[in-house]
Amino acid sequence: MERVNYSRRMRLVALAISAGSLVAMLAVGPALGADGENPTAGLFQAILVGLGYYLSNSPWLAGQGGFFGLYRPLVAGFLVGIIFGQPVEGAQIGAAINILYLGFISAGGSIPADPSVAGWVGTALALAGGLDAQSAIALGVAVGLLGTFVFFTRMSVDAVFAHWADERAEAGDISGVARMNWLPPQVFLFVISFFPATLAVYLGAPVVSDAIAWLQTNLPWFLKGLQIAGGMLPAIGLALNMRFIFRGPVVAYFFIGYILSVAAAGGVNIVAIGIIGVALAFLHVTFVGNRGMQQSGGM
Amino acid sequence: MGDMDSGVKLERSDVVRSFWLWTFFSHANYNYERLQGTAFAHAMTPIIRRLYKDPEQIKAALKRHLVFFNTEPNVGGVIHGAVIAMEEQRANGAEIDDDAINSVKSGLMGPLAGVGDTISQGTITPILLSIGISMAAAGNILGPILYFVLEIGIMLSMAYFFWMQGYDRGRDGVTSLLRSGLLDKVVTGASVLGNMVLGALTYQFVHVFVTFTVTIDQSNFELYKLLNSILPGLLPLAFIVLTWWLVTARRVSPILLLGIYLVVAMVGAYPIFGEVACPSILNPFFQPDYCVPAPPAV
Repeated sequence: MERVNYSRRMRLVALAISAGSLVAMLAVGPALGADGENPTAGLFQAILVGLGYYLSNSPWLAGQGGFFGLYRPLVAGFLVGIIFGQPVEGAQIGAAINILYLGFISAGGSIPADPSVAGWVGTALALAGGLDAQSAIALGVAVGLLGTFVFFTRMSVDAVFAHWADERAEAGDISGVARMNWLPPQVFLFVISFFPATLAVYLGAPVVSDAIAWLQTNLPWFLKGLQIAGGMLPAIGLALNMRFIFRGPVVAYFFIGYILSVAAAGGVNIVAIGIIGVALAFLHVTFVGNRGMQQSGGM
Repeated sequence: MGDMDSGVKLERSDVVRSFWLWTFFSHANYNYERLQGTAFAHAMTPIIRRLYKDPEQIKAALKRHLVFFNTEPNVGGVIHGAVIAMEEQRANGAEIDDDAINSVKSGLMGPLAGVGDTISQGTITPILLSIGISMAAAGNILGPILYFVLEIGIMLSMAYFFWMQGYDRGRDGVTSLLRSGLLDKVVTGASVLGNMVLGALTYQFVHVFVTFTVTIDQSNFELYKLLNSILPGLLPLAFIVLTWWLVTARRVSPILLLGIYLVVAMVGAYPIFGEVACPSILNPFFQPDYCVPAPPAV
């Protein structure tokens, strides 16, 4: 039992499980999924979305693939799109929702909203309701606010497992301590993330699509309002990110980036802007350095 | 340390195994009481297993690493590296007590959380996300794929680099790395790039418009055209700066702002002054096809 390569085996099992689920998600989803133009959220699609949401919070994709990968609506939206057989639309909706969470930082265990549930469940509902990307933003945000309960529940309950780990430590059980860090908390996380997300998609999709159909005939201005909001809300996401980098002399580059896009009327793509940005960053660091910048990190 | 031939040495593979355990499971049991406490102990298990044979020592080592711990998991790995080096010296008889190890952990975790979050969550992630988002919004599915590959590649290499730096250079090395100013340079350079990309994203995603029209002598002056004649795209730029000012200087809660903007959008859409005509949306100046599209098909 006290084999030293226990962790290597764990790692392989972890990767196999998550790679397997991902492959299942990508292969089986579209096959069972959308027929015709309007994707329907069948139970199977809903289960795959629930699984994706759990995986995004889980450690199984080398840690990073969860929080820095599947957790982001850009990635989640694309995968949901594949599940529903509409990868391009999914990626567009995910991208639009993600704008709002561009300034998202989870630090010290506080989380202002849940980008992941906005990405997974929000994109699924938007696709089922036939919303375009810009209108989907408000829907995604609403779902994202509801999703924070998973995080808070988990952060509170997981403290129990730390005490279980203490007991294993008292017994000198090395593997036991390791196990307490993943087995019980992940089982618990699966229960509180997979089932609500699956149900939200399965039960919510018809409701959302009916609601949108009703709005179309009765309150068309409301849908137009959603669309207008979709042009305003991204400013909040961008501004939240600007909190961190829009200060000191480097604010000048924000205006350069904006005016460059305006002047080209959207004709420069983001990679070109990125390359100009890297060149300017190099010049700035070489000739100006850190002058005028606040110290990072509070050291 | 020449007289320690009889001591226990860690294999490189133990350190690497510990790195992977941390990389996978750093947030597997994230909780309000200890945050990453149990994950730290989990990551130390290969080290403890190699260094200590006496059950009492094993017990003490496990308990030593089960305490409260929280840092940024990638850059912060430098702490784990340094602690592993200290544990190794301790197992070989060096005078390192629990307090020394605890003070390295608790002393460095705060500063490295600050620096690490600034680098990983505050700059690298939003920059790569911006690029992916911009591509995806234009209908290019390479956007999310490119983001995922680059982000995970950068995070993993960064995490591995800092972990090994910590182990090889020990705690003095960590301090000198923090003091060298290298990290600040990286952050400054990334802020330049980040600002450029945010500017471009603002153009792509922020659309505000005014429908206000002044009629003088039977000729209509549409406000948005007037504003655009001063500077194309002035209104979205003013709007983003206003929003930034509200959340930063006025500390308006983003959730409240969200509600306000939603209400403003709904009021703007309500056909109180008649149907909102398409050309009154600001951005058609640049994007003639930006008219409100036909209602979504259901």
